[in-house]
Amino acid sequence: MSLLDIKGLTIHYITHQNTVRAVNDVDLSIDTGKTLGLVGETGAGKTTTALGILRLIQTPPGKIVSGEILFDGKDLLKESEHNIRMIRGNDISMIFQDPMTALNPIMRVGDQIAEVVYLHGDCTKEEAKERSLHMLETVGIRAERSTEFPHQFSGGMKQRVVIAMALACKPKLLIADEPTTALDVTIQAQVLKMINELKAVYNTSMLLITHDLGIVAETCDEVAIMYAGQIVEYGNLEHIFDNPKHPYTIGLFKSLPSLDKDVERLSPIKGLMPDPANLPTGCKFHTRCDHVCEDCKAIEPAYQEIEPGHFVRCLRVERGEI
Amino acid sequence: MIKYFIKRLLWTIPVMLGVLVVVFTITYFTPGDPVMTILGTGYTPERYAAMAHEFGLDKGYFGQIGSYIWNLISQGSFGKSFASNIPIAQEIAIRFPVTLKLALLSTFFVVIVGLPLGILSATKQYSAFDTSLTAVALILCAVPSFILALLSLILFGVKLRWLPISGLDTWKSWILPVATNALGGIAVLMRMTRTTMLEVIRQDYIRTARAKGLKESVVIRRHALQNCLIPVLTVIGSNLTMQLAGAIIIETIFNINGMGMYLMQGILARDYPVINGTVILIAFIVCVMNLAVDLLYALVDPRIKAQYTSGKRKAKAIRKLRSAKTEVE
Amino acid sequence: MRRKKETANIENMEMATRRRGQWRDILGRLFRNKLGTLGVIIVVVLLILIVFAGVFTKYDYSAQDFGSRFLLPSLEHPMGTDNFGRDLWSRLLYGGRISLLVAVVAVIIATGLGIVFGSIAGYFGGKTDLIITRLMDILMAIPALLLAIAISSALGSGPIKTAIAISISSIPHAARIMRSTVMSVKGNEFVEAAQATGSGNTRIIFKHILPNTIAPLIVNATLQLGGCIMSISGLSFIGLGVQPPTPEWGSILAAGRAYIRDFWPIIVFPSLFIVLTVFGFNLFGDALRDALDPRLKD
Repeated sequence: MSLLDIKGLTIHYITHQNTVRAVNDVDLSIDTGKTLGLVGETGAGKTTTALGILRLIQTPPGKIVSGEILFDGKDLLKESEHNIRMIRGNDISMIFQDPMTALNPIMRVGDQIAEVVYLHGDCTKEEAKERSLHMLETVGIRAERSTEFPHQFSGGMKQRVVIAMALACKPKLLIADEPTTALDVTIQAQVLKMINELKAVYNTSMLLITHDLGIVAETCDEVAIMYAGQIVEYGNLEHIFDNPKHPYTIGLFKSLPSLDKDVERLSPIKGLMPDPANLPTGCKFHTRCDHVCEDCKAIEPAYQEIEPGHFVRCLRVERGEI
Repeated sequence: MIKYFIKRLLWTIPVMLGVLVVVFTITYFTPGDPVMTILGTGYTPERYAAMAHEFGLDKGYFGQIGSYIWNLISQGSFGKSFASNIPIAQEIAIRFPVTLKLALLSTFFVVIVGLPLGILSATKQYSAFDTSLTAVALILCAVPSFILALLSLILFGVKLRWLPISGLDTWKSWILPVATNALGGIAVLMRMTRTTMLEVIRQDYIRTARAKGLKESVVIRRHALQNCLIPVLTVIGSNLTMQLAGAIIIETIFNINGMGMYLMQGILARDYPVINGTVILIAFIVCVMNLAVDLLYALVDPRIKAQYTSGKRKAKAIRKLRSAKTEVE
Repeated sequence: MRRKKETANIENMEMATRRRGQWRDILGRLFRNKLGTLGVIIVVVLLILIVFAGVFTKYDYSAQDFGSRFLLPSLEHPMGTDNFGRDLWSRLLYGGRISLLVAVVAVIIATGLGIVFGSIAGYFGGKTDLIITRLMDILMAIPALLLAIAISSALGSGPIKTAIAISISSIPHAARIMRSTVMSVKGNEFVEAAQATGSGNTRIIFKHILPNTIAPLIVNATLQLGGCIMSISGLSFIGLGVQPPTPEWGSILAAGRAYIRDFWPIIVFPSLFIVLTVFGFNLFGDALRDALDPRLKD
């Protein structure tokens, strides 16, 4: 059985003016020790999905409309607030996108790590402190620096602190929301490598949110491509990289520069992602799709398994037309 | 840090001196001859000259201000009152503790009431509690403390007869002056705390704290509250200033023999040394307060402290602080 | 040369239309804000009552009638009469003229001098800036009310002198806002471009910088109006500022203070006028600030 199983998750942001359909009917699952990559453009609903798992959606305006999130067999959406708190930071922890703002600026970094250990660890303050020093060493920061404040660290170092904090309680699931986007290119690889190594050590599953297909290829076992709040294609690495089916996935690959192939020019996907407050009818991608037909504009495509473990949400693929 | 402290202290001295010059100059160029007023019908040219000499009024502007500053520094003397011939420092020594007690008590209530209400209001944004509290605060901001004093005097003192309306004889007589002086400050601090808090709880590190599994109350107390202390400290600092100035009118309404009453006597009698002494002393206290608030910033926020300790970034930090303060005011 | 002028004209026209559109947006946002609308209504109603006081009152504000002293509110005297038998309603409406006028004059003086000091400091920077900033620091160190009391005890009483006394303590604030706005506008490329084409300092200040500082200054002025009304009435109340028999809200309160134990209307109604006016201007100013800078709104 998989560690995390999301079924039909739908999250809306409801304001006076409009309803933003951030996440629509999303299915995902992650097996123990495996990494799932969640790929999509900015605004596709990736972060909202991640926050939904931890039930950290700001309510109002956010609202989890329907769906279930099974973690270790329990539906997180039905758990009490207290139980969810016991899971946060302990069984499921999260690394946020921007390390510059993710740490409390006026608290010593050691204390910030020790805080989560003490909360979940059933230990004394001294033991929590010990553990925080150990975690700092683990992510490659000298233990003496535990008494320093976040502003005394560089961006990459801050992200290491965040990682130390996220892994301090040996979580079963780590949600990494674009953990390297805000970092210098030279640091990105280092941080990513470290996350991977630590993940292997603790046998942690990971949901890796990114828009970088290169990172996905290096890190993930399975990939979900997200567009306008929906998963449009899902499969393992071979499915997605060697045999992509959905026009959006294919478009993503075409818009990437490649060292292996000699292409005249890159072909970016035309147009912009639709406004999530005003989604088009039918297939959400039809406004930008090269293979659009009349039915695409009216019929909402189903999420179909086209080969074992490979799912696509496209009418024309379903009909075998492309 | 110590270097910053000394620099900041050294800057406070010229400001204090500037304050002294401004106040002294204002009263110096006031029309009217105090000696004539004192002598009244007993005027003779000889007595006039003797009197003018006694008060140092025969020395001209620069001579007078020079000896004023010299006396203040060397003996802590604010000169003598024209009207009573008693040293002003002596009178102030009796009255200042009363005013200070009033201002500190009010500030105390401002902080223990305004701060929690502001935090509660922010954490329950858009609730009925938040809306009604914000409405009350909006109205209170529009009520000058002396009107609040007059109205509460009518209601609690005259109509209901619950509380004494003059003097400071029992603890009960403190209630109205402190409450009327504090309410406006409570409203201001509440609004400021609410706004700052709303801004802070949207920050990423608050989300990080929640993702750790901390209770919401702990998130607020440990992570949010400290981060909104800078603007709140500024408001508390300027509030004590407001309380000191407000005490002047409050004291005249409730017949309290403090600095305000003394200043009013000085104004009515055109007793300039008294006006100078009281205004300058209060302004000095404000300067010291501002200094203390600036230093507290550094203690509260390690980023500011760091910027102060490294000389290069100091200027930037101060500029940032200034703009933060402007926004607050 | 002529071409240059033409392009300049087109630019000006563009800027003007853009500004007009901007102001329409601002007004739209202002009236969408319920509290702001309430503030505007309060201010407008008060202004109408005060400006056309003659229409709304039956009695001369100074007509004494010893037969009808200390009357409680009635149809004849909506707010009762005072110790001289004068109609309080008329006194408060006519008194409002003085209170508001003094406040407006004080704000205009303060804003005007603030513009001068602030723009000089912000535009020229360096030593000039340092000197002006330090001067403002000194003025800010004296609590506003105390400074006003000291100046007003030196100048004596009367509406104009009160306006001056109040305005001086409000200068630093306007100057600060002006200075920071000028400094931020100065960094913009169009100012550098103007300097590069050889425009003089005055031209740059008046043509390019001042128009951009109008919005924050108007907000500041509106918010200061409320504070000034409070200070004026406070000054008059303690016997400085405007003095009886001139009707001014603070001075009416001062005169009524002797009767506080026996006759509440003489305290309550002037207080009501002051509070409502300040409340109205505060709401209006807050809403204006939010409308001008939508980012600030939560």
